Amino acid sequence: MSPELLEIVVWIVKVHVIFLGMVGVAAITTLAERKVSAWMQYRHGPTRVGPQGLLQPLADGVKFIFKESLVPDGANKWMFRFAPALAAGPAMLTVAVIPFGPDVTLFGVTTPFSIVDLDIGLMYILAIGGLSVYGVIVGGWASNSKYSLLGGLRASAQMVSYELSMILAILSVVAISGSLDLREVVMQQKTLGEWNILYQPVAFLLFLIAAFAETNRHPFDFAECEPELVSGFHTEYSAMRFALFALGEYCAMVVMSSVAVALWFGGFSVPFMPEAHWTLGILAFCAKVTCFLFFFLWVRWTLPRFRFDQLMNLGWKVMLPIALVHLFITGAVISFAPQLKSLWNGLVNGAS
Amino acid sequence: MVIVRRKELSLRERLYLPEIARGLSITFRKLFEKPITRQYPEEPLPKNEVTRGQPRLVVKDDGNIACVSCGMCEIACPAYAITIDGGETDRPIEREPKKFEIDMLRCILCGFCEEACPKDAIFMSDELELADYSRAALIYDLEKLKRPKSALQKRIDYVYRLNNRWRKSSSTS
Ligand code: SF4
Ligand code: SF4
Repeated sequence: MSPELLEIVVWIVKVHVIFLGMVGVAAITTLAERKVSAWMQYRHGPTRVGPQGLLQPLADGVKFIFKESLVPDGANKWMFRFAPALAAGPAMLTVAVIPFGPDVTLFGVTTPFSIVDLDIGLMYILAIGGLSVYGVIVGGWASNSKYSLLGGLRASAQMVSYELSMILAILSVVAISGSLDLREVVMQQKTLGEWNILYQPVAFLLFLIAAFAETNRHPFDFAECEPELVSGFHTEYSAMRFALFALGEYCAMVVMSSVAVALWFGGFSVPFMPEAHWTLGILAFCAKVTCFLFFFLWVRWTLPRFRFDQLMNLGWKVMLPIALVHLFITGAVISFAPQLKSLWNGLVNGAS
Repeated sequence: MVIVRRKELSLRERLYLPEIARGLSITFRKLFEKPITRQYPEEPLPKNEVTRGQPRLVVKDDGNIACVSCGMCEIACPAYAITIDGGETDRPIEREPKKFEIDMLRCILCGFCEEACPKDAIFMSDELELADYSRAALIYDLEKLKRPKSALQKRIDYVYRLNNRWRKSSSTS
């Protein structure tokens, strides 16, 4: 085989591994969600399908496929059908730029383990990820139901307010690493002392809170808020269309976790082993992402939901000012005292 | 009228994050505790002689049914669940049921049939599960109702104990 052809084959393999792995992780997360919630409430969770209920996602999938996909009377048919794809698509597209592992050698070809290596990866994630809210709005609008409409409106308001703080938080990290390329950011955090969480803990906290709001997760899941809105934007959805919304949500969770890991927790770098083999790198990345996914579930089953005005207050009156001031301070530190960083480096390396 | 004053939140509580951490630690500890759910079909409910399950007919040790088809239980049944057709037999007792049906969908497990029976022929068993694919299959006939006396012995003893207590107190007064 010519090297060009081989490269294409390797690329196709990569796409499949990453994409299918992603959907698989999303499916497993649905099971994990039910199991974790059950354990936290002294229950067993699903136990019937397969050993310990491990095949539950498969059973769910089959069930979703065979259910009737209803379109309510008076709904805008085409928009209604299109919305789930619009919600799930962007979440899956953003997977493309996430650096899951270091350079990988497959069939003699060395290639970075991500679908594309975009040098504006972060911007791509923010831009495409922001699109997924359209799925929610369109779904809510097209359903011809007041609950769905309100859910969609809330989602849009929430996204606008939290996207700002999130971008500002990410900008602080971009400012100290000087790159929008996720792989580049990860490469700068080879050892434990270089992890950005040590330099940017406040930005991480802001990002984390905004990530919960962005992925529509508890305690900020106002778009589906059961007590007031039945099930919010997907009240009228059933079968596979409903499943697509859920899939989009879980994929978005994985992407957010991956971004957090890449930006603050050293991505695929293995602690204490800067020159580790690439398999270890991928494993380290997966382990870190798993911790984050668990955190998402953990928070969901711990906190009650906020009130919508509290959410808006928190977004505009607390998060945004803190993020702005934080970005300003970061910029000031970088431009006026570059020595500070080397001093800090010396301190951390001396301590470890 | 009750005036509820909102508690002034301390700075720590208003910051919210320490409180979230506290909540998270609580749920994390619960993660490792034993579930209290009963896995029903595998872990059945505890049953004893007080359990009032579905009524069953006693088959005496000599293999004959104890029922003489007097119809007392049929009359006593508040749900009209019992249907009896009497018939003759060569045994000295002369009568036995030719047809004895209890519609298990109508039976409310009240136990009146057990109380009414003068021949200790019908007792509440500890069988509780009831499921089938048709209504007709849940109208139990003689064959489905028969149980050897030994299987119902605990319940029989319990009923005797109850009744004896009643007899004693009425005789003293
Ligand atoms: S338990 Fe009550 S309802 Fe059931 S058959 Fe006996 S008398 Fe009728
Ligand atoms: S009351 Fe007792 S003896 Fe009389 S018909 Fe009913 S079961 Fe038979």
